[in-house]
Amino acid sequence: MKRTLADWNRKFQSVHSPFLRYGLSVVCVAIALGLSLLAQYYQFRDIEVPLFSLAVAIATWYAGIGPSVLAVLLSAACFTYFFTEPLYVFEVSPRDIPYFLVFVAWAAIIASVGAVRRRIEENLRETRDRLQIEVEQRAQREDEIRNLNEELVKRAAELEATNKDLESFSYSVSHDLRAPLRHLVGFSELLQRQTASLLDDKNRRYLQTILDAAKKMGNLIDDLLAFSRVGRAETKGTLISLEQLVSEAVAELSPETKGREIAWKIDALPVCYGDRSLLKLVVVNLVSNAIKFTRMRTRAEIEIGCVGRNRDEAEIFVRDNGAGFDMQYVNKLFGVFQRLHLPEHFEGTGIGLATVQRIVHRHGGKVRAEGAVDEGATFYFSLPKAQIAAERTANPS
Amino acid sequence: MTTLGRILIVEDDPNDVELTLTALGEYNLANEVVVTRDGREALDYLYCRGEFHSRANENPAVMLLDLKLPRVDGLEVLQQVKADERLSMIPVVVLTSSHEEKDKMRSYKLGVNAYVVKPVDFHEFVNAVRELGIFWAVINEPPPGSVKKAL
Repeated sequence: MKRTLADWNRKFQSVHSPFLRYGLSVVCVAIALGLSLLAQYYQFRDIEVPLFSLAVAIATWYAGIGPSVLAVLLSAACFTYFFTEPLYVFEVSPRDIPYFLVFVAWAAIIASVGAVRRRIEENLRETRDRLQIEVEQRAQREDEIRNLNEELVKRAAELEATNKDLESFSYSVSHDLRAPLRHLVGFSELLQRQTASLLDDKNRRYLQTILDAAKKMGNLIDDLLAFSRVGRAETKGTLISLEQLVSEAVAELSPETKGREIAWKIDALPVCYGDRSLLKLVVVNLVSNAIKFTRMRTRAEIEIGCVGRNRDEAEIFVRDNGAGFDMQYVNKLFGVFQRLHLPEHFEGTGIGLATVQRIVHRHGGKVRAEGAVDEGATFYFSLPKAQIAAERTANPS
Repeated sequence: MTTLGRILIVEDDPNDVELTLTALGEYNLANEVVVTRDGREALDYLYCRGEFHSRANENPAVMLLDLKLPRVDGLEVLQQVKADERLSMIPVVVLTSSHEEKDKMRSYKLGVNAYVVKPVDFHEFVNAVRELGIFWAVINEPPPGSVKKAL
């Protein structure tokens, strides 16, 4: 019921045709006049003013200023004609003026209330429109987010599939590539054994070359697999004393330093955060390189230290006085199977520094190197310091 | 008196079979060797089915099992053997090319007795096979119900 009244209210107010609006005003005054005359006929007195006021009010409320003025004039005229002495004449006497003023004042009050009401309504409508736009925008943004999310899910699935492919690839490399290699080596050795007395030196050397090449390929496959495992292995982060890690690595490499004079200089090293076994691999690789490339020095010098580059990162270096390298090729240094020395001089497959770089990158650090031919080399790697890393894992942004 | 246990080899690659037999032959361990070429054949042998239906129902002293096999693969064979009450006591040695952590984990979870990665180097391969042969076929006392012949 309330709802329909409000609906009607709105409908009336939104009528714009001037004919209807002025008509409403005339009809209202006519009804007020009729009712007043009826009341007078039945001896009810003094309800003319409220009835005409009501007519003025309705005309003002629903029809606006023009019809309101018309209603006031018509009411005043009817009042003068029908209800004030002398009756049935249009004679404006000073006694009529208060009634006229009552109608005008009443019309003014209703008009101002209407204006306030309209302003409020306008504001409400504006707010509603704004809200509606905002809701629409939000829905749009939600749609966008949903789309992005779907894309992310798809990407993740694709990545997972690629990862699976890679895994099965490295599995089949490890399984299927190794078997023929083993047969190559096995049967070559059998042949070597069976024909030792029949072959001359040249043919024996051929056979030996086949064997060496097959073994080398075996090493390359093993290194490549280890390298790919480093990329796939899950990292377990803990606090690590680098000093301890370095002394373990040096002890582990002691078989390689037998009979050599090496001056070790190991500075104080910070505590870092990372995967212990992977970071140990980094240190072992760098130190074993330093040992290898200082082989021709009568007195090798290897220094391991730390440059505290800034508050968040520690930069560790391994410096040697060995063969060094040409800075021109520094960007090749960390590539897979890249070598800057001839295999006759220094053995190795060229996977060590690539592994180092991969592990350090997985820890969010960087690697770099400095060196000069025959003047030694320095390898740097940076790691987030323990405190920073702990904070970062506590509240990942 | 020294006795020699029967070795069941499950290996699909003929070259590997030949190398293994050569390695065992160098130490006179090749007499009591049965070779099956895939997991299905190995299970047929163990259950005395198919072409093995007429063999004496005795278990081998050790099974050398490759993982990557046609039809039924090594891990499936291992699972079935370890799940069968009568076969579960047979010592199973996985002899494979695979270094993969995953394969090792799964083999040990299924109850493998040893896991040996075939070395690329022939000497090491011969040594590995010889030591496996000597340990499992000669030194180790197999569970009751296994074939053992006097040397």
